[in-house]
Amino acid sequence: MSASPVARQATHSQAIPSRRVLITDPAQMPDVYSSTPGGTLYSTTPGGTRIVYERSFMMSLRQSPISQTPPKCSLPAALLKNPGSVPHSSSPVQKNNRSNSISFDESQETFSMDL
Amino acid sequence: MAGNNTEEVEGSATTETKTNSNAEVPPEFLIKHPLQNTWSLWFYDNDRNKTWEENLIELTTFDTVEDFWRLYHHIKLPSELRQGHDYAVFKQGIRPMWEDDANKMGGRWLISLEKKQRNSDLDRFWLDVVLLLIGENFEHSDEICGAVVNVRAKLDKIGIWTADTSKQHANIEIGRKLKEQLGIHGKIGFQVHRDTMVKHSSATKNLYTV
Repeated sequence: MSASPVARQATHSQAIPSRRVLITDPAQMPDVYSSTPGGTLYSTTPGGTRIVYERSFMMSLRQSPISQTPPKCSLPAALLKNPGSVPHSSSPVQKNNRSNSISFDESQETFSMDL
Repeated sequence: MAGNNTEEVEGSATTETKTNSNAEVPPEFLIKHPLQNTWSLWFYDNDRNKTWEENLIELTTFDTVEDFWRLYHHIKLPSELRQGHDYAVFKQGIRPMWEDDANKMGGRWLISLEKKQRNSDLDRFWLDVVLLLIGENFEHSDEICGAVVNVRAKLDKIGIWTADTSKQHANIEIGRKLKEQLGIHGKIGFQVHRDTMVKHSSATKNLYTV
């Protein structure tokens, strides 16, 4: 990732310090959006802190698996590209099956999961 | 020998990487990238039984690069909308109308597209404008309010709305950057909302031109 245009203008001759952090487990991810793995990535730009992304970087994120998932909000059907291809956020049939199988046995741990 | 040992260690590390699917995903793909601002996506539905304001619907908001793409991948492109429809992307809290406090003193850089450009340029321009906005690519990005795309029978239009027409330096920087990034060769003009309100937009004079 390259520096923002704003940062580049102010630091012509300086190398941008960088560091690679390899993530091997989701547990190593920071728990807040404002932080990046290994510490906060976005530093102060001239005139105050501002999060700047270049077009090429945002375009590379277009293929990210997260970017492919359907949006959470409900959108008017007339605006959807392929109404058939967007999976429904909740599947009522599955939910019913699940609720039927729940047994209220107090000896069972509340949060036990079969994986 | 030491050299051989190193090779073996490296070899086994490679095998491990291949079996661990998480390590193959670039780190950038594992997180959401926060945007400086939260943005609202608006849609103008051209329903004749409704008032102009009733037709204007705030669909959703997004505040990460990935959430923008999630929306973009699932909604129609401007060229796929019906004529009379608009999309608008504005900073959260600013309504895409002249009357909003944030727009009252403002204006817009206007990019008019000929009919033949609907297939060649409209979608590309709109995506690039939105990326410039949400990526905070303008030096004076505080002056940015949002952008609108109008799909119309005569001329499709993309407008980039700014907050204060009197800030010549900031508005011209924004106009120049737009022209350069979109690769527009002709002139584009900046119009004051108050002028657009009283005149038909094609007759509105330009305050700035780049």
